[in-house]
Amino acid sequence: MEPPKIWREKRERYLAVGIKCLDCENKSFPKSEFCTKCSSNNVKEYKLADTGKLLYFTQITQTAQEMIEYAPYIVGIVELDDTLKVTGQIVDCNLDEVKEGMSVRMVFRILARDGNEGLIRYGFKFAPS
Amino acid sequence: MSKVGIVSYGSYIPRYRIAIEEIAKIWNEDADELISQLQVVSKTVPGLDEDVATMAVESARNAVNRWGGNSNDIGAIYVGSESRPYAVKPTATIVAAALDAEKTLTAADLEFACKAATAGMQMCIGLVKSDMIDYGLAIGSDSSQARPRDPLEYTAGAGSAAFLIGEKNIIAELEGTYSVTTDTPDFWRREGAVYPTHGQRFTGQPAYFQHTIDASKGLMEKLGSEPSDYHHVTFHQPNTKFPLSVARMLGFSNEQVEKSLICKEIGNTYSAASILGLAHILNHSKPGERIFMTSYGSGAGSDAFSFMVTDEIEKIQSYPYSTNYYLNRKEMIDYGTYARYKGVIR
Repeated sequence: MEPPKIWREKRERYLAVGIKCLDCENKSFPKSEFCTKCSSNNVKEYKLADTGKLLYFTQITQTAQEMIEYAPYIVGIVELDDTLKVTGQIVDCNLDEVKEGMSVRMVFRILARDGNEGLIRYGFKFAPS
Repeated sequence: MSKVGIVSYGSYIPRYRIAIEEIAKIWNEDADELISQLQVVSKTVPGLDEDVATMAVESARNAVNRWGGNSNDIGAIYVGSESRPYAVKPTATIVAAALDAEKTLTAADLEFACKAATAGMQMCIGLVKSDMIDYGLAIGSDSSQARPRDPLEYTAGAGSAAFLIGEKNIIAELEGTYSVTTDTPDFWRREGAVYPTHGQRFTGQPAYFQHTIDASKGLMEKLGSEPSDYHHVTFHQPNTKFPLSVARMLGFSNEQVEKSLICKEIGNTYSAASILGLAHILNHSKPGERIFMTSYGSGAGSDAFSFMVTDEIEKIQSYPYSTNYYLNRKEMIDYGTYARYKGVIR
């Protein structure tokens, strides 16, 4: 984990900050220098809604090396209250408790650890609300 | 002289619990006797993706959301803990960023065993009273370590509480605070050591009880108050027996202390223990009630506080993510899962 990358992505990961286009009103996440709809660079930071409902989910069993200590884990697509759809881990519930359509809220968790001596990457996940 | 006090509060308790019975089964010890001695039936266990920083952020966000103000008005953040994720890299910086409170503020991590958070509250009170800041956030967060089979393993839990201190819209006005500090070697962890060591029974009389009693009596003497003047009292709760005993020694009744006693279900949350009790009390308090709190931190010291609940409390009590919410949300796990979650096995 490179310190500059963690530092650069901090507002997206910690605060779920994306962008809003001032020309076409489109909102998107993650952050970008340009609107993903009209390509305008007239964009500003936009804080995503922190609650929503779970649309789809699956359980991940085969993971990247940095995620192996967390496997198996659940990942889902959440439609936030501001209609944006984001992908994230679903925590604080077991597979048999997860239901499509259930209400969720953002929680602050460890995303990955760089071994015992490296940096810890933090960010949002979703938990039942 | 302007008033100062608690403006808001937030709690966080992990979902996972392990029963004392489950730990006792592994070590072939008498669970009934342990439960009877400690008056604790289970303790909290942080999930694989939780640590002191994540719990501190959750309790801090609950305090800020309950308040409803602008996080940029927070001028100081202090995180009290003895189990921080980084030896060097302040947890308070992570909390500040996660609250969107960067960057014009002062921040630090504090260590004084189980009372670092109340030291942080005193620091915030001082900064607010001296007009250096408008609001200060004091957090206690711990995911405490315990060597497998050590008596500590039965109670060492995890949790966090956060208190926003300020002068406007105070929900509990500070009437006074009083501290005692001595060099008492009852519990310690050397640099690089994985688990703490303790002085067995020495942690009781000359440590927990003496300091808690001295600070409590000192404050009541200073204020001219008596135990009967208070509706609620919270002490450090390493187990349920100690706060009940010290309450009795000081002249408080079981009824005055019982609202704070959440240790029975969640174990000892170290830096968060006395203040999680305070947060739970505030959820059930009425305007005009007086609350007494004395923390205890090994090493050793105690901070005592006297608060008067104001009319403002009723405006923020309905916030949904209260201590009760977290107490009711639980999943029991077995010892193997506990060992994995605590990193004993990987």
